[in-house]
Amino acid sequence: MKRHDDEKKGLILGGTCELALCLAPMLIAKEIVPVLTFRSEEGQRRIEEKLAPYAGHYETVRLDLNDTASIEAFFSRTSSSCDFLVDFAQSDYEAFIAGADESRIYSYFMENVAARAVFLKHVTRAMLGRRRGRLVYVSSSAAERPAPGQGFYSAAKLASEALYRNCGLEMAGKGITSVILRVGYVEAGRGRIFLETRPDAVNQVPIGRALKAGEVAETILFLLGPAAEGINATVLTMDGGLCAGKSGLLKA
Amino acid sequence: MACNGPGLADKPQYGIKEKNIHLFERKAYMDIIDTLRELITDIMDVEGETITEETYLVRDLGAESIDLLELSVSINHAFQITVKDDELYLRNFRLYIVEAERLGKEPVSYLAERFPFLATGRIAEILADLEVGPAIKIKDLVSYIVYRQED
Repeated sequence: MKRHDDEKKGLILGGTCELALCLAPMLIAKEIVPVLTFRSEEGQRRIEEKLAPYAGHYETVRLDLNDTASIEAFFSRTSSSCDFLVDFAQSDYEAFIAGADESRIYSYFMENVAARAVFLKHVTRAMLGRRRGRLVYVSSSAAERPAPGQGFYSAAKLASEALYRNCGLEMAGKGITSVILRVGYVEAGRGRIFLETRPDAVNQVPIGRALKAGEVAETILFLLGPAAEGINATVLTMDGGLCAGKSGLLKA
Repeated sequence: MACNGPGLADKPQYGIKEKNIHLFERKAYMDIIDTLRELITDIMDVEGETITEETYLVRDLGAESIDLLELSVSINHAFQITVKDDELYLRNFRLYIVEAERLGKEPVSYLAERFPFLATGRIAEILADLEVGPAIKIKDLVSYIVYRQED
């Protein structure tokens, strides 16, 4: 696609997930070109199948936080600049800390924290050159309220939240702001699979249900807009009230 | 051809070729300063005419961390060079002084290895100037840009 000067682009990291694929059409409707990242050919096919009605109105790019060469290749392209970044990327590693595989510990944090920091460095420098940018990090209520076995996931989410928070703290004077959205149970992707095996989990949610993908996507869309610029370098929680009260006491 | 390059006119052993090279290098040097002046006035609220190669980036212009970050990004784009902020802004200068002392190394030559784009004379100047405050000048940025362009 030829980019015009007034065309806005939104980079969606982790572009193959259900939330990303729900968000992309909303961005297109706002005349923002989503650039969805994928890690494998299967992921690219999933994007193309889901967004078939929008062919020609979005872009895809291979970008894997586990592959530094793909990060460098992306940012060496002249068209790598973007106005927005929405970060859904997260790999999973569930293990008790005392029982974890040490090599997995190193690789997990290398991919989900260190590589993310390198990626953010490049993104924010590109945005700085244009003096505008909005960063949205999609975190999880597990950052605040992890289950046993989610220690690494929670630690990676909290570390990533801190990176995004500081981007907004450091760069807001130059037109680049950030927000972290912590979501609770969502009927999408890994969340759907979890809820199918643990339907009772929603009993702890004051609103009595999990979030829908469309609700989360619409919230992200709002956070990308000018009305949300004042929400900077902070965490918003969208979990139906899950983390607001004591666990296990909501319903018998 | 008339030659007004400082120093070379007094050296009869230099021929026309060397004098032309010097003139060319001096022009390229001034072109870099002109570009830096434009970048800095765009980023910071300063008058371009006040910026010379001897201008201190922090002491004279009041550059803050975010300004330096934006300047390094602008230098990267304007000159198409790889910029490492720690090198460009001599961030570890004091750390290396402490290291040299700990290792029993002569500081100027130790620093010259770590900042190969700076002449030893300049390093000695910075060492003498450090107590007053951040010593980085426009000419140090020029030296870095020239060094990276030759990379």
